[in-house]
Amino acid sequence: MEPVITLNDVSKEFKVLKSREGIKGSIQNLFSRDYKIVNAVNHISMSIDQGEIIGYLGPNGAGKSTTIKMMSGVLVPTSGEIRVNGLVPYKSRRENSEKIGVVFGQRSQLWWSLPLIESFKLLRDIYQIPQKEYEDILAFYESIVDIKGLYSKPVRQMSLGQRTLSDILAAFLHNPPVVYLDEPTIGLDVSMKSKIRDLIKALNQEKNTTVILTTHDMGDVDALCRRIVIIDKGTMLYDNSIENLRSFFGAYRTMKLRFTKDASMLTKEYLDAQAAEITKDLAAKYPDASSIAVSVDEDWIDVLLNEDEIPLMKVMNHIQEQRKIYDVQLQEISTESVIKKIYEGKM
Amino acid sequence: MGKTLKRYLALTRIGIMEGLQFRVGPFVLFFGNLIYLVIIYFLWKAIYASSPTEIVNGMSFYDTMIYLVLASALFSAMEMFVTWWMGRSVQTGKIVLDILKPMPYDRYMFFYFSGNTVVNFCLTLLPTLIIVYFVTHGGFALSWNLLFFAAAVIFGTIINYQINFIVGTICFYTESVWGINIMKEVVVMLLSGATIPLAFFPEAAQRVMYMLPFQAIYNTPLTLLIHNDLPMSERLILIAQQILWAVVMGLVSKLFFKVSIRHITVNGG
Repeated sequence: MEPVITLNDVSKEFKVLKSREGIKGSIQNLFSRDYKIVNAVNHISMSIDQGEIIGYLGPNGAGKSTTIKMMSGVLVPTSGEIRVNGLVPYKSRRENSEKIGVVFGQRSQLWWSLPLIESFKLLRDIYQIPQKEYEDILAFYESIVDIKGLYSKPVRQMSLGQRTLSDILAAFLHNPPVVYLDEPTIGLDVSMKSKIRDLIKALNQEKNTTVILTTHDMGDVDALCRRIVIIDKGTMLYDNSIENLRSFFGAYRTMKLRFTKDASMLTKEYLDAQAAEITKDLAAKYPDASSIAVSVDEDWIDVLLNEDEIPLMKVMNHIQEQRKIYDVQLQEISTESVIKKIYEGKM
Repeated sequence: MGKTLKRYLALTRIGIMEGLQFRVGPFVLFFGNLIYLVIIYFLWKAIYASSPTEIVNGMSFYDTMIYLVLASALFSAMEMFVTWWMGRSVQTGKIVLDILKPMPYDRYMFFYFSGNTVVNFCLTLLPTLIIVYFVTHGGFALSWNLLFFAAAVIFGTIINYQINFIVGTICFYTESVWGINIMKEVVVMLLSGATIPLAFFPEAAQRVMYMLPFQAIYNTPLTLLIHNDLPMSERLILIAQQILWAVVMGLVSKLFFKVSIRHITVNGG
């Protein structure tokens, strides 16, 4: 099958004015021609098939949005080739825009002061969606989310969650083969997040839409994506399935410990001190086990370790010899910790 | 063709609806205009009082007042916040969403703003025309001139939009709006005849101004409305000039935008 999106050795450089400090510097800035080149995206290649949901991850400023803007045709790549639906996005911007949908985080494409349905009607007209298809997709929307009540509500009166939901529906309205969702769940509460995940999943399954999703929320990734792409500082770090990523860290376990049942003892200072003690103790006992990391997670002390390096039970026994363990939980490593490890360059 | 038009008129429609949402807006505009007109009245009264003749530069006080009342109404009705809007969308990055609409950005913006203009016409210009007509007991004729006036207003709006669009495109480079917008306003107000009738400028300045597109925005429609004694040929020439300007400015704005869009570095990447 022909991939729907291909990126071939794509780079994007920005020319940024070097800023100076203070008032004097600000005045100098007015006349400055002192530019520096910032490599926002560095030689990225990937190919994406119809119907995939890709989790596009990376820390803030990694170049995620820049990539999406190049794929949607807003930015022109400095070098390399991009094809989406067989088109070069920035060359055929208009044609391309009929075949894509976009949601950019906190920006809305809806008409602020008007009831939601008016935005939908306008999109129907400018994308020239046949009335029958328009009615069908609205009916489909109504079957998966409770949107009917929002039709008559002006967008500016909506909660952030309702607005995001509406924005996503607007992006899918003309049934594009590709939809870019740039941080769609940012700032939403747990129940709204799960609603939006269900919605994206349903749309992807029903319409076989390819979804490129950038997010910082690993819950989104776990719920939606089979494949993830990770970039940092413009460079691609990882492009494979989530399972594969987890298998890298398959031998990693998190041991959650609690040493007292008195909840009032569990202050931040107390836990931090305890974690520091255990760190020191374990480092002395197992100097070769570099994977061991102790951290505090709410009321728990987490000990992360690689079982290929050191058996978990051995460590637990050792800790138990030192102090009484009141409660214990064992966990597989979460996607979040994996990604964190990759960001930190520990892969 | 009909289908294409439909997608653009859908934008006009939404513009009208949005314009009507801010119900207080037109009244504030109307009231603000009233204050402006009071100031203008006393200012020009003083100017005429200091003149030895009743007619200055071929215009009586009465002529001047009719001209300025209509000019201010036309100005507020035709005022478009395109520059402002474009600058803001560059700053906030919202422009990304507008550029990704399946139609040329300039046309998208024009039809969106045309809705607001329609509202302003109905709520400011039309009432003012009616009031002026009755207060002056027929200060302008009800004849062919109205038809020419209507046509000239439409072309004037288009030229005005294109100037706004060009200035808005400059915001792509500067990423600031305020100063540029103010500069544009001053230039347009002065050179278009919106604040001072062109007849009051020195002859050399007038000659230059007639070679610029700005006078085609306000001066041309007002001339066609007030001077019902113009020969038909002259009226047609005025309209033809407007069309010429609309085409020229249209090409300039399109070309400039095309070049500029390559330069955009959308904020918050």
